[in-house]
Amino acid sequence: MEVLKEKVEEEEEAEREEAAERGEKMMRPVEMRREEPPMTQEMLRDLEKKLSEIEIVIPEQPSIITKDTFDISKLPLSYQSNTLKEEHLLQVADNFARQYNHLCPDRVPLFLHPLNECEVPKFVSTTIRPTLMPYPELYNWDSCAQFVSDFLSMVPLPDPLQPPSYLYSPTAVLTHQKGNCFDFSTLLCSLLLGAGYDAYCVNGYGSQDLCQMDLTRDVCPLTMKHKEVVQEEEKVPPKKYAIKPPRDLSSRFEQEQEMKKQQEIKVEEEKRRKEEEQRLLEVEKARIDPLHGLRVHAWVLVLSGKREVPESFFIDPFTGRSYSTRDDHFLGIESLWNHKNYWVNMQDCWNGCKDLVFDLGDPVRWEYLLLGTDKAHLSVAEDEEDRMNDDEDVENLGKEDEDKSFDMPSSWVEKIEISPEVFETRCPNGKKVIQYKRAKLEKWAPYLNSNGLVCRLTTYEDLECTKTLEIKEWYQNREDMLELKHINKSTGLNIDYFKPGHPQALRVHSYKSMQPEMDRVMEFYETARVDGLIKREETPKTMTEYYQGRTDFLSYRHVDFGDRVKKLALNSAESNPRPMVKITERFSRNPEKPADEDVAERVFLTPEERIQVRYHCWDDRITASKREFLRRAEVDSKGNKIIMTPDMCISFEVEPTEHTKKLLYQYEAMMKLKNEEKLSRHQAWESELEVLEILKLREEEEEVHALTISIYDTKRNEKSKEYREAMLQVPPRDPPQALPSSCQSLLA
Amino acid sequence: MQRLYDSVEPRVMDEDMLKLAVGEQGPQEEAGQLARQEGILFKDVLSLRLDFQNILRIDSLWQFENLRKLQLDNNIIEKIEGLEHLVHLVWLDLSFNNIEAIEGLDTLVNLEDLSLFNNRISKIDSLDALVKLQVLSLGNNQIGNMMNIIYLRQFKDLRTLSLSGNPIAESEDYKMFIYAYLPDLVYLDFRRIDDHMKDLAGSKHQYGIDELKHREHLIQARLDDERARQEELKKHKVAFVEHLNGSFLFDSMYAEDVEGNKLASLPGVGELLQAYKDKFVIICLNIFEYGLKQQEKRKLELDTFNECIQEAIQENQEQGKRRIAKFEEKHLLSLNAIREESDLTNIEIKIVEYGEDITELFNVLMTLEMQLVEQLEETINMFERNITDLVALFIENVQSLMAQCRDLENHHHEKLLEISINTLERIVKGELDEDLPDDVRALFVDKDTIVNAVGASHDIHLLKIDNREDELVTRTNSWCTHLVDTIHKDEIMRNRRRVKEINQYIDHMQNELDNLECSDVID
Repeated sequence: MEVLKEKVEEEEEAEREEAAERGEKMMRPVEMRREEPPMTQEMLRDLEKKLSEIEIVIPEQPSIITKDTFDISKLPLSYQSNTLKEEHLLQVADNFARQYNHLCPDRVPLFLHPLNECEVPKFVSTTIRPTLMPYPELYNWDSCAQFVSDFLSMVPLPDPLQPPSYLYSPTAVLTHQKGNCFDFSTLLCSLLLGAGYDAYCVNGYGSQDLCQMDLTRDVCPLTMKHKEVVQEEEKVPPKKYAIKPPRDLSSRFEQEQEMKKQQEIKVEEEKRRKEEEQRLLEVEKARIDPLHGLRVHAWVLVLSGKREVPESFFIDPFTGRSYSTRDDHFLGIESLWNHKNYWVNMQDCWNGCKDLVFDLGDPVRWEYLLLGTDKAHLSVAEDEEDRMNDDEDVENLGKEDEDKSFDMPSSWVEKIEISPEVFETRCPNGKKVIQYKRAKLEKWAPYLNSNGLVCRLTTYEDLECTKTLEIKEWYQNREDMLELKHINKSTGLNIDYFKPGHPQALRVHSYKSMQPEMDRVMEFYETARVDGLIKREETPKTMTEYYQGRTDFLSYRHVDFGDRVKKLALNSAESNPRPMVKITERFSRNPEKPADEDVAERVFLTPEERIQVRYHCWDDRITASKREFLRRAEVDSKGNKIIMTPDMCISFEVEPTEHTKKLLYQYEAMMKLKNEEKLSRHQAWESELEVLEILKLREEEEEVHALTISIYDTKRNEKSKEYREAMLQVPPRDPPQALPSSCQSLLA
Repeated sequence: MQRLYDSVEPRVMDEDMLKLAVGEQGPQEEAGQLARQEGILFKDVLSLRLDFQNILRIDSLWQFENLRKLQLDNNIIEKIEGLEHLVHLVWLDLSFNNIEAIEGLDTLVNLEDLSLFNNRISKIDSLDALVKLQVLSLGNNQIGNMMNIIYLRQFKDLRTLSLSGNPIAESEDYKMFIYAYLPDLVYLDFRRIDDHMKDLAGSKHQYGIDELKHREHLIQARLDDERARQEELKKHKVAFVEHLNGSFLFDSMYAEDVEGNKLASLPGVGELLQAYKDKFVIICLNIFEYGLKQQEKRKLELDTFNECIQEAIQENQEQGKRRIAKFEEKHLLSLNAIREESDLTNIEIKIVEYGEDITELFNVLMTLEMQLVEQLEETINMFERNITDLVALFIENVQSLMAQCRDLENHHHEKLLEISINTLERIVKGELDEDLPDDVRALFVDKDTIVNAVGASHDIHLLKIDNREDELVTRTNSWCTHLVDTIHKDEIMRNRRRVKEINQYIDHMQNELDNLECSDVID
């Protein structure tokens, strides 16, 4: 489709002219084809001669793959020559091209039959070999496209303004792991068709970024934050006896004034933000491409309908990303094809691909090469149009009868095969680097790096990528279950994420330094721990622990440490623990105890020998009982030791009872608390030790960074390999006879 | 092992003895010192040991309300008594006494462990109340009948039993019989029961057990049936329409109606009565169904109301709790500040400030409460109106249905009168072919008698209908009044409790502040 701007800007007359021309276009091919059928050998020869005359000489391009890299002679026969049917198809194609050229002289010649690796012209549709891969990852379009984009390295087109003269088979592309956009699209289309998608290779025009696989102006998909879906709570209709809210006595006028003020501030902020954005945009604005709209690109179109695809979309094979069919990057379509047919776009692309209608059954919009494929005249809306052009219909009918006998020959390409090793390695040499806007993404194959690193995302502050903002590293198969390491360069905060299975049930570990007694947060898989610890936060002076699901209902413990007492012996954290000044513990409600006896919070103030206890609140109360014990070792005037006096225990009781006033009760309660204080201190001390242990363990793990190997991985796991080899040496038992019969029954 | 009475002096269980025992067995050391200082109340004692005291009669234990464990072994007790008040008792040891019958244990529903070892008991009974019984020791007694074992089948939690030293233990089949009839038992005579032996015993006594089980099953089924019926009736009673789902009312009309029954034998009256009964029962069923439906409606209304009230109260409490939590945070800080402040004038300023804080908290809490009271009052009034309307509607409709019953009765009465008079005429004319019973014929002496008889029957019927209606109306109304009263009362109670709670809390806070002031002044 011609996209020349002059034409669009031309005056009305010219447009009318063009319209007339178009009408001709529609009519003529049909007439021509009608004459065609009685084709004799001579005519064929004639045609060939004519074709050779007409054919535009495509400048010989240096092929992507140098000839010496592979031996053509080893390739199967179908690669080296054309069958009769293929020859016939080429003739049909040439004929079609000739008519097309004649009708649309100002359009670029069609991309129909480039040469393959054996210098044999092959029709593009036959180069597509629909194959379903045995890997479940390749069953869905997104992972499939990702695989193609990872697996092949990109080679730019020899001439960015023209389609290539060579189109290699997908098998060759897979062996060499590199190709241009046409190779990429053909391979991806083959895989998608095999997986059942309604996919097409598209030859068209794309933006510079798209054609050169330049992602530096795109935001990395990994850095994009997921938009949190805010679920709007369903408004419960007020119940019949819902109480009325108390009367609102505030002034409405004042509220309005306040609202106005808020609004103004908001507008101001909005304005400022917009300006800022504008400024940023200008900085990032790309240089203008002089060849905009002329760069040839190939990509894949997936039509809706099959495999529950709700809407048609494009896939850029270089990046494996999907785009809407209205995306700005796609500037026009010349033609598209799948393994069955070839369509030429007859719609105007002055507005990129935004206005295109992908109804391939509509002959006005899409001129097809072969008839009798499954894309019948679809739209009911077009019926009226059809009826108006009755004469054309009649002609179409005649054509159908003639051409029905001919359909697309099967693909000449060998079955596409990807070995598991290669599939796992993915990228050429197992490594791939993608540069995004303010970000760099590096990918490695699993087991390639000895520390299990598979992916690293570096984000930068500036566009030139000099100042590192943060680094995210993904790991796989680590024995310590490390999954993701997040390093924030600006704050110096490191966050390690672990999968379930760390020996200490670690889930998240965020820290600034590996030294003990510093700021750090450790989160745990609480179900894997006996003590039900969820989270432990540390600062130089405090330690806070959160628990869940404990039988003693402890949910929170906060320890304040004092300054370390100086000791003559050598000072290490283990031998001289810091004194604990204050321990606060909170408990959740134990439904078996009455609220008055169920402790909600207790605070041990060790130096003051003070213990504060707060109990839970009854369901129908708003105040909770409290008790404060203060123990002073004193002697009374007679020199006897005072065991317990009423002033040692100050209590507030919501429901005063007789027995709690007794000194004996208070004494017993205090003794119990004293014992529990000892226990709590011991536990806190143990927690400290555990932190040290974890830190030591982490350091060791980082040093060793051992990787696990599944026992099913017979390539890497030595034991499994030996076992498998041993199994292979044992002569297999005679194949079960049941299998063929069951197959037969299935077939029957 | 029978100790002789004569050789020992029986002792009386008196206050002193109990005090001594409690003192000895109470807390020791520092706590003991405290306990002595304060004295121990009997009702705080959880466990008491009174062995080798030569006690003859259990007495004076009524104060030990909360006792969990009581040991009275090795005495000379002859009768189990005086234990009625110890309802929390879990463990009771009465071994090595002279008890002859099991009795006086009917209130000890929490008892789990009972030891009656070495007594003179000959029959196991009177243990029905002890549903939680787990351990039963009855060794060295005089139980001679194997059927006593079957009595123990009702204790589902019984795991340990000792019966050695009884006459039945000498029987050859003793162990097998117990294994078979008490399959849940784990220990017998202090030995674990072998599973294999249990199976063996089970198969040996298969028939006896099956029969027993069948009988038990039947009894159980009957009990269940009865319970289900009671439930159903209760449900109907709540809806005020019990016994209206059938011919109960109709039958009751004719139950005391002598004349009506007599007249039923007249020709033509049978059919008339049948038709009348059918129609009457249909109306009764109508009332019944309507009643159930209305009951559902009332229940729904009440549930919604309760839910809303609960929500409102909950919400209000949360607000109060938040306020208090906020205050307490500040409270700690200001107390510390006051303590640390050295300048006297500053202290005074701070104390005044703090006092103001307390007053403010009081005001806030009270405002919240008053607000809630107002809101609730409004809602309660609305509910009261609605529920009264509902009840009024129900009564009105039931009354109209009852009126239909009365119409039917009137209609029937007229018909019956007509037939009676016709019959009378025919008798007078001597045209009656059928033989009437003598007592019926006695009614047909003259017109007045027969009319009176029919009238009396009619009156009884009307009275029954009226009574039923009255009952329904009165009960419905009283239910309604009672409900509304309770709601009002509950709300008042709630309000008082809350106000008291707030005051108590504020007083406590104020006291704390005052104490602080005092100590400061002293300092």
